[in-house]
Amino acid sequence: MTLIREFLVRLAVWLLLAPLLPGIINKVKAWVAGRRGPPVLQLYYDLARLWRKGVVLSTLASPGFIAGPAVAWVAVLAAALLLPLGPLGAALSFRGDVILLVYLLALARFCTAWAALETGSAFEGMGAAREVSYAVLAEAAVITAVLTLSMQSGSLVLRAMLAPAAGTGAVLLAVGLFTVLLAENCRVPFDDPNTHLELTMIHEVMVLDHSGPPFAAVLHGAAMKLLLFSVLLVQAVLPIGKLSGIAAGGALIAGVLMVTVAVGLVESLMARAAFRRVPLLLTTAFLLCVFALLVAWKGGAA
Amino acid sequence: MTMGWLMSFAILVLVAAALSGARLPRLWLALTVTGTAAFLGAALWTLGGGAAWDWRSGFAVGNERLHLRLDAVSAWFLALVGVVGGSGAIYAREYWPDGERPESAGRGRGWWSTLVLCMGLVLLCANGLHFLMAWEAFALSAYFLITLERERRETRAAGWLYLAASHAGTLGLFAFFSLLAAGTGSWELGPMRDHPEVAPLFWVALFGFGVKAGMFPLHIWLPSAHANAPSHVSAIMSGVAIKMGLYGLIRFSGWLPLPEGAGWVVLGLGAASAVLGAAFSLAQNDLKRLLAYCSVENMGIILIGLGVGLLGLASGDTAWGRLAMAGALLHVWNHGLFKSLLFFGAGSVLHATGTREMSRMGGLWRAMPWTASLFAFGSVAISALPPLNGFVSEWLIYLGLFDAAAGHTQVAVAIVPATIALGVAGALALAAFVKAATVVFLGAARTQAGAHVHECGWWMRAPMIGLAAVCAFIALAPGVVWPFIQRPLAAWNPAWSVDDPPAPFATLGAVQAALVILIAVMVVALWLRSRTNGMRRALTWDCGYAAPTARMQYTGGSFAALASGWFAWVLRPERRLRWPRGPFPRHADFVERIPETVLERVIGPLSDVVMTASAWVRQRQQGHLPDYILYLVAGLAAMGVLVVFGSMR
Repeated sequence: MTLIREFLVRLAVWLLLAPLLPGIINKVKAWVAGRRGPPVLQLYYDLARLWRKGVVLSTLASPGFIAGPAVAWVAVLAAALLLPLGPLGAALSFRGDVILLVYLLALARFCTAWAALETGSAFEGMGAAREVSYAVLAEAAVITAVLTLSMQSGSLVLRAMLAPAAGTGAVLLAVGLFTVLLAENCRVPFDDPNTHLELTMIHEVMVLDHSGPPFAAVLHGAAMKLLLFSVLLVQAVLPIGKLSGIAAGGALIAGVLMVTVAVGLVESLMARAAFRRVPLLLTTAFLLCVFALLVAWKGGAA
Repeated sequence: MTMGWLMSFAILVLVAAALSGARLPRLWLALTVTGTAAFLGAALWTLGGGAAWDWRSGFAVGNERLHLRLDAVSAWFLALVGVVGGSGAIYAREYWPDGERPESAGRGRGWWSTLVLCMGLVLLCANGLHFLMAWEAFALSAYFLITLERERRETRAAGWLYLAASHAGTLGLFAFFSLLAAGTGSWELGPMRDHPEVAPLFWVALFGFGVKAGMFPLHIWLPSAHANAPSHVSAIMSGVAIKMGLYGLIRFSGWLPLPEGAGWVVLGLGAASAVLGAAFSLAQNDLKRLLAYCSVENMGIILIGLGVGLLGLASGDTAWGRLAMAGALLHVWNHGLFKSLLFFGAGSVLHATGTREMSRMGGLWRAMPWTASLFAFGSVAISALPPLNGFVSEWLIYLGLFDAAAGHTQVAVAIVPATIALGVAGALALAAFVKAATVVFLGAARTQAGAHVHECGWWMRAPMIGLAAVCAFIALAPGVVWPFIQRPLAAWNPAWSVDDPPAPFATLGAVQAALVILIAVMVVALWLRSRTNGMRRALTWDCGYAAPTARMQYTGGSFAALASGWFAWVLRPERRLRWPRGPFPRHADFVERIPETVLERVIGPLSDVVMTASAWVRQRQQGHLPDYILYLVAGLAAMGVLVVFGSMR
């Protein structure tokens, strides 16, 4: 019974708390700009409304147009359930679960890009092309970060890998992973989630033609992915596993809030980078992870 | 003894099939399917724990007695020969029928059975001399299959290139086997770790088998041969024939004493093949060339696994070496299955549209729902995405790599870059297959070629469904497959203790199954919800375009432009762009060609040099008597100098 209860609690955290993050980011941005901004719970209202709305399908779209967002959502949720939540732990933990997590996110990417190309629109094709291309560099950074964590912990189980802090390379890893977080979740300076059209060139443009419940799945999945990356970043950098239950939970929540506020601040203070700069930024993130890896390697050898 | 009967039955049936192919298509199909099923049965029986089969003839062929052996390593590959050989024969019935191809259909059937038989013999021969004979027959029958459509100039050129490259490799193998026989004193093949002096021969084998395996940079023949062959031939070439090269590498890396650095080199070549193969694949605009380059990538992934296995071997009995080696073996099966599926799918598209050019297709899902879904299935599998089988084998290789890196030993210097390369190759392959699947099947039809298409019939559909079912089985029940992997591992290196259960293989299978269920539930839920809320069709919104046309769609070239731009240093795309000029532009066009860089920039210029040198030598040979006297005198003088200086020393 406790197993089921714990599983439900984790599920609830991922499903119910995820839409909070975009709300917080928007509040921070409004605060910096001196506006009142939309309510923190805005995304919940949007999701509830979309779930009740009808769907307009492109005349060209195949059934994959609805299946795509569904599979992507399941993939992100499954990846999230593999990630330990501080004292709550993960729903399932086994050797090599970290690889499954990385590849589940790739599955989500595949399905989102697939659905985007269903519509035969040049605009959405552009977004899909950028998504899968930038993912090549982001993947290199993520794999390097995973290597770093596995080298310093000597383990391939997420729970054990995320328990200790990232050691002396923590700062490098934090900056690298934060950059990957911004890229993978299509935030400034990689993408601008605020607008449609020209400014939003990756994620938002891929989902232009979605509507109704499938669009709700897309938005909710994106929020879960943001929460997933924030939790991953916080646990990779802070020694959450070494704290006791309540302290660990508090640290995790505080960390995730800090990351969210940081995303909001970056978004308020920076402009979106020119597109030719994006590979450079991602390569920088990759190099930071490589340096973190070297630090972990030396640390282990000593 | 039953095994002996089964093998002779399979061989005889396939010989009969090869002879009946030209005239009796129905009998041929029955015989080929029976023969391949017998191969499959023998292989599975051996993998399931049966004793290795060993048979020596009383008579001699070429002064050597025949020696056939079926152990777990050869059985592993023989199973693949059986599956793809049989399903391809069924597929060919509709894809390459007598009615449409009166001239080549019969020939194709005969050579098909010959190819399957010869690949089986390559796997069985345990004598160097007979191995070479079988190898040559296998290479030649593949040549005749590639050039079935010999009235096309590209096909003849591709066949010629294949033949030349294949023989360059075979030349290496001749050297390898004869030097091996000289070193060990016998043509018999088997473990020879007690002959350390033959260790350097590993490099010769790496070249000879590497050409066949399509390892970068020896892959030059592969893209054009796979693209121009009929699709069922591409499937068996890509799914099985290039695996024969891997078989050679795996077999002899298990038998030979390994030279210093073998694992490092194999790992490096694997990483290079994986990343560059994927990059080349992404840049292609020809559907079958894209699939062909992807084979280079997958060979790279398998070589990464093999390389880690060899490194593990060099560092003693390591768990990580075993894991990576197991992943490499499983990927051999997986790639054989889903690559054949994808080539069958590409064949179905080619059959319907008459073109391989992706920029002429689009929107085919409506007319070909089966092909589209099966191709999508194959794309997800080959991109190594959960919950399908490609992920299972890559996961094993990753486990090996991560464990090796975590050891903080010297090997980590090679392991870390290889791991990153594997990740990057995976992301590139994902991009390539998003491109292949969506440009062909989704969106609007780009030209008339894509507008009037038809779905393939059941003879072509059934083999695809069968292959997809095997893929799904491996994906959902990897725990069942694991004992089968252990036997070739144990046969490869008997010193290894392979009893340990595969990390959490059963858990992974359960997770994948759960994922499938969750996906099904969510898709149905979302569909039902959308339907109750009301669904209507409208033009693609696309931010308010009133009249979108198919020409505005993103093409394969534009989709790949960004990422392939990062690899322009090796891809060397040739572009010709004519801008629209003036207020009423008459003409504007853009042509892009992705050359085969190694062939056109390295081998091409090199062979030009050779040709120039030969032409120069030929000019010296004009039949002028004084010239020949001069050569004689010069030769004698040179010999004299050699003798004088030789005796001085």
